[in-house]
Amino acid sequence: MAGREVVAQGAKLGLLALLDAAAVWAAVSLLLRGDHLLLAVLAAGALLLNFVVLSRRAYPLRFLLPGLVFLFAMVVYPIGYTINVSLTNLQTGNLLTKSQVIAQLEGRYYLPPDHATFSYWAFRNPQGELRVILLAQDGRSYLSEGSQLLPVDLTDPRFVRGTDGTVVAFDDFTRLSLAQIYQSLPALERLDLMLEGVHVRLATVREFGTYLRKYEYLRDVDAIRDLETGIVYTAREGYFTSPDGVRIEPGFQIYVGFRNYLDVLTNPGIRADFTRVFGWTVAWSFLTVFFSFWLGLVLAYLLNDPYVRGRFFYRSLLIIPYAMPAFISALVWAGLFNTDLGVINRIIGELFGTKVRWLQDPMWARAALIFINVWLTYPYMMIVSLGALQSIPKEMYEAARVDGATGWQRFWTITMPLLWVSVAPLLIGSFAFTFNNFTIIWLVTAGRPAVLGAATPAGATDILISWTYRLAFEGDRGNQLGLASAVSIIIFVIIATISAVNFRFTRALEDVSRGV
Amino acid sequence: MKKLLLVVLGLTVGLAAFAQAPKLVIWADDTRTPVLRDLAVEFKAITGVEIEVVEIAFDQIRGQFITAAPTGQGPDIIVGAHDWVGELAANGLLEPVDFGPKLAEFSVSSVQAFSYGGKNYGVPQGTENIAIIYNKALVPEMPKTWDELLVFARQITDPTKPMYALVFQNGPDPYHWFPMLSACGGYVFGPDASGALNPCDVGLANEGALRGAQLFADMIEEGLLPAGVSWDTMRALFFGGNAAMVISGPWLVADTKAAGIDYGIAMIPSIQCADGSYGVPKPFIGVQGFMVSAFSQNKLLAFDFLLNYIATTDTMLALYNRNPRPPAHLPTFELVKSDPDIAAFGLQGQNGIPMPNIPEMASVWGAWADAQSLIANGQATPEQALQEAVQKIKAALKCP
Repeated sequence: MAGREVVAQGAKLGLLALLDAAAVWAAVSLLLRGDHLLLAVLAAGALLLNFVVLSRRAYPLRFLLPGLVFLFAMVVYPIGYTINVSLTNLQTGNLLTKSQVIAQLEGRYYLPPDHATFSYWAFRNPQGELRVILLAQDGRSYLSEGSQLLPVDLTDPRFVRGTDGTVVAFDDFTRLSLAQIYQSLPALERLDLMLEGVHVRLATVREFGTYLRKYEYLRDVDAIRDLETGIVYTAREGYFTSPDGVRIEPGFQIYVGFRNYLDVLTNPGIRADFTRVFGWTVAWSFLTVFFSFWLGLVLAYLLNDPYVRGRFFYRSLLIIPYAMPAFISALVWAGLFNTDLGVINRIIGELFGTKVRWLQDPMWARAALIFINVWLTYPYMMIVSLGALQSIPKEMYEAARVDGATGWQRFWTITMPLLWVSVAPLLIGSFAFTFNNFTIIWLVTAGRPAVLGAATPAGATDILISWTYRLAFEGDRGNQLGLASAVSIIIFVIIATISAVNFRFTRALEDVSRGV
Repeated sequence: MKKLLLVVLGLTVGLAAFAQAPKLVIWADDTRTPVLRDLAVEFKAITGVEIEVVEIAFDQIRGQFITAAPTGQGPDIIVGAHDWVGELAANGLLEPVDFGPKLAEFSVSSVQAFSYGGKNYGVPQGTENIAIIYNKALVPEMPKTWDELLVFARQITDPTKPMYALVFQNGPDPYHWFPMLSACGGYVFGPDASGALNPCDVGLANEGALRGAQLFADMIEEGLLPAGVSWDTMRALFFGGNAAMVISGPWLVADTKAAGIDYGIAMIPSIQCADGSYGVPKPFIGVQGFMVSAFSQNKLLAFDFLLNYIATTDTMLALYNRNPRPPAHLPTFELVKSDPDIAAFGLQGQNGIPMPNIPEMASVWGAWADAQSLIANGQATPEQALQEAVQKIKAALKCP
């Protein structure tokens, strides 16, 4: 017994030591990369892990910690991140941070009017220092000295000539071959040499050229000066902007406070379409859950009856819509509902000699969507109901039968109350999921048919989430992530409210025994 | 402690030295990676520089690049479409290309397609545009004008079979609808004084656009054109011999051959405009090419690779053979222009308009598609629907 404990202790400590070693290795590389935030997270995590494993007092945490970690990583962090983004102007044109934009602008050059190019030879000495000899088109030559370019007389005997007459070495420097130049390109690219007040930089692999700096950042006034034109661009609304409103691209991210929320709540177009979209969203979720639940329950009830033959076979068949990827089913159904070419209309045409304008008429499109979603959801409801039905004790039915209850009475007074306890929370969850079921809407109708006279691109079958997708990604210059985040937070609040009211109303989460 | 510091210092220096060795990372789609990997071997033999080619699905490259580039973890070069340039450049993620004397080797329109804010941001490779692909067994003589097309359509159309003269993706799909609108002068964004696109000049509801849209509405109402056609439906109808012609691009050709259809490629029939003249439908031109990241540590190397190793007839021809599209590199185009498919698509492309690459295009697609579906459903006249679309686009772009 003691021996096994020693082995277990040893294995535990060994594993911990390995993890700690990995953490130290990761910490060093994070330190080198200068990623201090991640380093702090890593350090805190490693310390916590050691504390939990080594301390006796923290024993219960061993079982809670993994769950807490996942809760933080998958729920708390994304919500925090979304809230953070919703307070910024993150969108096309405002992707980079301000320091990235300043660094990029300060690295821009323009060609001086008398732009000159130089062919060059690059040299390196055993210490790894790089120097270049530039050959101007007018025959003059220059040697780099630190960051300066100095005229040099190549007939000086210190320059060793090769067989083709070019300089191959001087002092302790030897010339780089073309392959070596390629190998040293990052270093050569960073050379910023000065020649009579003009920057000389590598222009292509084979040439240097003269350049002038385009922009200079003025730290004390937080502005960018265009050194070519002299115009000063001050930081405004996420862009460096000139006095007459010209913006330098790219812009940068800034915090805009609650402006995204205000944009959504005060935009007249959005307010005009909100009621219609919200109404359809609620109807869509409610009807989907309602029909799929009843269909699933009826099927489960039938299949739970021991007198039905081939129950296994039917159950397997009925589960198919659930087993097929929803993506594919949705696309297949969209094809089947096609007005001119779809199979459904062919059948209707054969039978009734008419054509239903599925997916084109607002009401029919909504009906088709609910039909498709019920088809996709009822197997889930059936499985859940089957499980719940099987957990109801048989004795209760027997007792009821002895008391003379009819089948109908047994269903309403025994099955439903007992079923409801376990199924109601799932229905509310299903409601919340359907509320945000972007995939089905997008794949089948993409929110269409369009509504003539709508103030924003809100189609007849757009639910809140697909509508906001359109607002955020099909508006302005696209990818308005700040706005999109604000809207998701608003939708989150709406769903949280609806769910809370539902839970309260159905008492779904209250003590099970009270419901019996 | 001192030892530890030394080790850390050593590691730092070591890593810094390691970072010095240049290496190019390219993100490319599956049609280009094999060619680029072969070229990488050649490049390494000459320069000693390693090139890593990462295969990413074409439509994933843009999004992943936007995420990765600002962190410094992105590639040096990406393969992409010209209409990404506006968004990427506005975000400060692309480095302008200085073609130097190589500029003359590329078709002017393809270089222009990659330009944004007066700078060139890509080395163009292949161009693509739509035209008519028809089934020779069903079309005795290809109509030259839309009137002839209508005559032919009235003869052949039979929804019960079904059999249609012309089918194209319209469920809604403004890309395939644009040639009808542009034939008599419709456009998306007009030019401003400097020649750049002006996002507040939207020409989707002008007289020419309305003429094309009316033709579309009439054909649907008469039952000559099925509405709500998706990519899959279009393929099924064409390959099943239920559609005599489709409006589609080079991407359909390989499957058409595989389906055993004796096909031809022709110009989209001309549309008679208000003044009686015939307007040639102008499709969007898409150009695919190579772009360099503004966050690359090896920009010169990347440009050297693009201009001296990619922009050669050998490489361009190899890329062409993998995925035949009219090459933007003129010497390569000369080599392949005798191919009848390339020539036929090229003929339509000569009249094409580069798809606008400014990021404001994001506001256009949804509103425009809505208008098309309203017209196709008969819920609105072309005039109502398109004028409303233009209003919505302008509102989304905060135009006065």
